Amino acid sequence: MKQIILATMLAAGFASPVMAEDISLGRFFGACENAGSDTKTSVGEPCIIQSIINAASEQIDGVTVNTLPTDWGNYYDQLKAAYAGKTPPNVHVMHRYRVAEFAGTGALADLTDDLAGAGIDVSDWEAAAKAGVTYNGKIYGVPMDFHANLWHVNMDIMQQAGLVKDGKPVLPTSVDELMAQAKLVKEKTGKEYLIGDFSQFETGVRVVMSLIWQQGADLYNGDTATVNTPEAKAAIKVLTDLFAAGYADPKYNYTDSQQAFLNGEGAILINGTWVVDYYDSQAADPAVALKNYYAATFPILFKDKAAWAGSHMWAIPAMLKQNDPAKYAAALKVLAFINDHDGDWARTGHMAVRKSVLASDAYKALPHRTEYATTAGLARTMPPSKHYGAIQDTLNREFQAIWLTNKDVDAALSDAELDIQDLLDR
Amino acid sequence: MAVYGWSGKRLGQKSSAALLLTPFVVAYLAFLVIPFLNGIWISLHNWNLMAVAFDPNAKEFVGLRNYERILWGKNIVWSPAASPLVQWSAAFVLLSTLLLTAFGKISRGTAVLVGSIALILFVACGFHPGAGGRWYDRRFWPTVGNTILFVALTVPSITIISLSLAVLVNRESRAMAVFRTIFFLSQVLSVTVVTLIWQLLFSPRQGLIANVITLFGGSPIHWLTDERFAMAAIVITTVWWSLGIAMILFLAGLQDISRDIYEAAALDNAKGWRAFRHITLPNLKRTITLVVVLQIILHFQVFGQSHLMTGGGPNDSTQTLVRYIYQTGFRDSELGRATTMAVFLFVIMGAFSLVQFLLGREDKD
Repeated sequence: MKQIILATMLAAGFASPVMAEDISLGRFFGACENAGSDTKTSVGEPCIIQSIINAASEQIDGVTVNTLPTDWGNYYDQLKAAYAGKTPPNVHVMHRYRVAEFAGTGALADLTDDLAGAGIDVSDWEAAAKAGVTYNGKIYGVPMDFHANLWHVNMDIMQQAGLVKDGKPVLPTSVDELMAQAKLVKEKTGKEYLIGDFSQFETGVRVVMSLIWQQGADLYNGDTATVNTPEAKAAIKVLTDLFAAGYADPKYNYTDSQQAFLNGEGAILINGTWVVDYYDSQAADPAVALKNYYAATFPILFKDKAAWAGSHMWAIPAMLKQNDPAKYAAALKVLAFINDHDGDWARTGHMAVRKSVLASDAYKALPHRTEYATTAGLARTMPPSKHYGAIQDTLNREFQAIWLTNKDVDAALSDAELDIQDLLDR
Repeated sequence: MAVYGWSGKRLGQKSSAALLLTPFVVAYLAFLVIPFLNGIWISLHNWNLMAVAFDPNAKEFVGLRNYERILWGKNIVWSPAASPLVQWSAAFVLLSTLLLTAFGKISRGTAVLVGSIALILFVACGFHPGAGGRWYDRRFWPTVGNTILFVALTVPSITIISLSLAVLVNRESRAMAVFRTIFFLSQVLSVTVVTLIWQLLFSPRQGLIANVITLFGGSPIHWLTDERFAMAAIVITTVWWSLGIAMILFLAGLQDISRDIYEAAALDNAKGWRAFRHITLPNLKRTITLVVVLQIILHFQVFGQSHLMTGGGPNDSTQTLVRYIYQTGFRDSELGRATTMAVFLFVIMGAFSLVQFLLGREDKD
């Protein structure tokens, strides 16, 4: 009966043209002051998403969208506090790996039966994208992208080192090749081979995880932590060897690493898909030292095809669906609008989740898209856990302790294993 | 002041006091006492922030288990040389206090206070995991240690620098008024602004400090990501930020000292450092105690500098107690554990408030 009432109210919500609803929206990605509402010309994650939101606010009848001020670093803490205080945003973005925690505690609305009514075609989603927003057989969000780490390449430095063939960078296919290339770059150009934020952001964890997966292992399996393994040691050794030889610097933070790459101080930057359009636009700027930019798929250094990937998605609080069907219907319209603009969001560099967008000529024609087209085939994510955030932080802390403070690898991995096991046992 | 009741009848002293105190007591109970007692109640539960918000029955009473999981471990033993430097220093202080008391060199109150702190340090630092043992939460005590180190570095620095500044600007001239304002200005900034300013200054690529070091032929320091400098970086930031209020307190204290004493001392040729040593310092004793205790209580709650500048790293070297409480409560949703740590922090700060109370009482004696 409750479902019938809800369905009727939803139908009424969609049918009635003028029911002004103010939708609050929570997101990360950073701030964009003057995003406008032209979803076709905005550049960079913050401005592209804000232009889509502004356009939704302008174009959806009877709905205005108010973007709440949030901070990237503390986003989930703010979101949880808002949920605990029973004042969550009506619509909010999140990562797929947080679904277990949020949907598991009953925070998120089950959208399974309401998406079609809102004009969202679930069959158009890639299977992996649908799986990412599904928990216990129910759909709890609308996926927006796949994102992964790429190797952002300065082609001029690679050319100087003789590592360009047929207009493409020659990237390593084994650890030995990686070290040989790094040595070559250093000798021929005097520059660093690899740049990345290995001191604060989770780049190091994502690289190490990718290299562990490439060896067929994982960091935890069900309720058992498996961090202190030969595979983890081999993965970490790849980075520590680069640091020890001076081919990479572990002390850069995110801003410094990005600036170093744009200044032409290193051959390769490890960062995500989210900066492809930004680096592309920077390379076109005469004032920037980076001139020839290439976005390459994360290389396979061991036997298996695997590299860290994630997915952004949009969700609605369960309490909105229960308490305010009209606002819930308006929130679904916002989600549908964002889903319709999956192709615009993909301009950031992220991979689209809709089959129709992926097959479109416009998508294929996006800058550098063909250069990392194989990335989707490597995508791998950590097993779902309610303690994902704490597990990430534990790994980040212990891995960074190895290369920033010379903590013994065995001690760091065994400490990480103890801490993660402690989390999994709770 | 006469207070009148509803009937227009003048109230007695007790009734007036009760009436006037009521607004404060109500606010104090509602916003401090009840939340504090609620915090203790939460600390006795396995309480998930999100789960309990949606289902009040999702919590589980666990008694003192959270305290055990945080403070204790498996096979914990005690020895007099677990942390030799701290324990033996504490033992030395304890023995010295006993000797000085025996010879009547220090008052009994001071002896009890210093002796108690030394004894607590000697005993507390002696616990460690025995063979095959481990702390249940191996990060908690190092985090407490970091917080104490932060306080130990920050409080004396702020006290000495702000006192020096107060003495220097304690003159009646327009220039000194300008300096007083400038030195106080940093105090009004929010932690976000302060940490942003100092992150820019500490940046090894374009920071002012790196540029100066490079100018003299040195290589830039990675202040925020190098274990040797990260704590120093947040201490420097905090000292710069916190000088203002301490300086104002000292200025108030300095202006309370009668000019006559300095003039009399000058006749006896006590000027400059001697006047400072024998007149200013003794007269500022109570202000110094106030500043030190207030700063200790304030800086035990350090959070923003560590959270925004270093993220507690590298290798937890700048992880502080309030940041750990915040992470446990919000990142991990473990409100029970987080409030347990908060109760522990309350005990520490309560102890320092007690110290202030005891020292204040001794002054009156």
